[in-house]
Amino acid sequence: MFSLLKRFRDLALVAALLLVPLGVYFAHARRPSERSRLDRFFIVLTAPVERGVAFVIGGALDGWRGYVGLRGAHERAQQLSRRVNELELEQRDKVRLEAENERLRVLLGFAESEPGFEVVGARVIGVRLDAKGLQLVRIDRGADDGVEKLMPVVVARGVVGRVHAVTSSTADVLLLTDLNSSIAVRVARSRARANVRGTGDPDVCRLDYALRSDDLQDADELVTSGTDGIFPRGLAVGRVENLKKAGQGLYQKADVIPAVDVTKLEEVLVLRSRAAGGRDESAAVAQSGPAVERSAPARPPAGSAAAPAAASATPSGSHAATNGATAPNPRAVTSAPHPAATPSPRATTSAPHDTRTAAQPRREAGSRVP
Amino acid sequence: MKPVLYFALALALSALQAALLRWLGGGAIPVMIVLPMVLWLGLHANTVEGAVSATAIGYVLDLANGGPKGLMTFLSVALFLFARGAGAAVDIPGRVGFAVLTLVGTFLAGCAALGLIDLVTPQVAAPGWELAGRIGLEALVTALASPLVLSLMNATDRLFARDDPTLLR
Repeated sequence: MFSLLKRFRDLALVAALLLVPLGVYFAHARRPSERSRLDRFFIVLTAPVERGVAFVIGGALDGWRGYVGLRGAHERAQQLSRRVNELELEQRDKVRLEAENERLRVLLGFAESEPGFEVVGARVIGVRLDAKGLQLVRIDRGADDGVEKLMPVVVARGVVGRVHAVTSSTADVLLLTDLNSSIAVRVARSRARANVRGTGDPDVCRLDYALRSDDLQDADELVTSGTDGIFPRGLAVGRVENLKKAGQGLYQKADVIPAVDVTKLEEVLVLRSRAAGGRDESAAVAQSGPAVERSAPARPPAGSAAAPAAASATPSGSHAATNGATAPNPRAVTSAPHPAATPSPRATTSAPHDTRTAAQPRREAGSRVP
Repeated sequence: MKPVLYFALALALSALQAALLRWLGGGAIPVMIVLPMVLWLGLHANTVEGAVSATAIGYVLDLANGGPKGLMTFLSVALFLFARGAGAAVDIPGRVGFAVLTLVGTFLAGCAALGLIDLVTPQVAAPGWELAGRIGLEALVTALASPLVLSLMNATDRLFARDDPTLLR
């Protein structure tokens, strides 16, 4: 018997190890029992292993992300940095385009408000505001685009100047602040006449030939009178500042702050009369009084004697204009910029105003005020 | 002595498996890395030592599974006997053979577990045989990992071989 047990001991043990768990399973399957202390002990034993593995793997992953992965992060950061730079450039371009669009929109609005003129839009491509020479800006439109000498150049805010010299593809614009520039103006409020002459300083011009008896005040707006045969009537020219009425003398003196900051020009409009003849006639205006009325058909002539004022608007003054030639040296002719500089005071004083006929009132009805 | 070591090893592998699965798919990939130990015992251990070790390993599986006690213990001993029979019947060479044995053994153990659970569980709560696909995947992944367990068990066995007193003679 004992030997039989010994013989089948292994088999019995295996059978027991097989069947006892099966019995335990069926016994506990329908009524799951709680874990015993022994079970919990062994489970607790495995916890450090799991924590250790988690620590090792987590540390390795952190190390990968923190150090090895930084190489990729560096490249990524560089890419992003480049992208940010590109986007910043795009953003600046966008802002610039928006500003340009706004300026062009205003210019377009102005152009549409001038039915008597064709407009040629141009960009300023060069600036020469040298106090020792002419104050010019160069625009990217020239004779091929229909730009001719003496054509008025404006922006929406007001007068810029006029075309001084033309090539096939560019044109130089003599600014209203140039010493040789003189523009016939009216006071928007009182309609009094005067001339605005450049001083060579881009920030300020001078008021000429404003009669002492005329109604002028500081901050009065000055607009083109249209009597010079160059500029259409009603364009803003500037604002009266530092008005001085001397106790004696024929004229008042004042500074004029230009309506247009000529140092910030980017786009301009060249005004071209729709009338046949174009600038040839305008050029003639600068030389002969009667031609004025033909040269500006879109604007009723202010008077029959616009010629002196128009002549004063030439770069070389009336002297050069009457000679029918451009002034090779503008400074040389500034000594006689205007008929008012003639020795006779009466003749001088009549210069800007003698264009009025007796029947013509001082105030021009229908003049536009910007 | 050996069953205690295998028990400790099974505990460690079970904990390692749980920790690794946290990082490897969060349990989406099923694996029973302890089962190849039982199969190795069926091939290489003697009957008593192997059966006792299989019981200990089954106990670890029961602990790890959290299911009814005795199920995995029973299946572990049954798997031990299966491997022993397979080892006696056919030649199981190298790692590939061991992996194939693991594939078959793990799949059979899984199906048996499903069947046993189905026996004692009300019909509405029974797992159903839809899980057979997942059991197959578990068997495949376990078979792929089994060469590592084979190497581990062989290394562990060599530790005991040094204590063989016949070496001193």
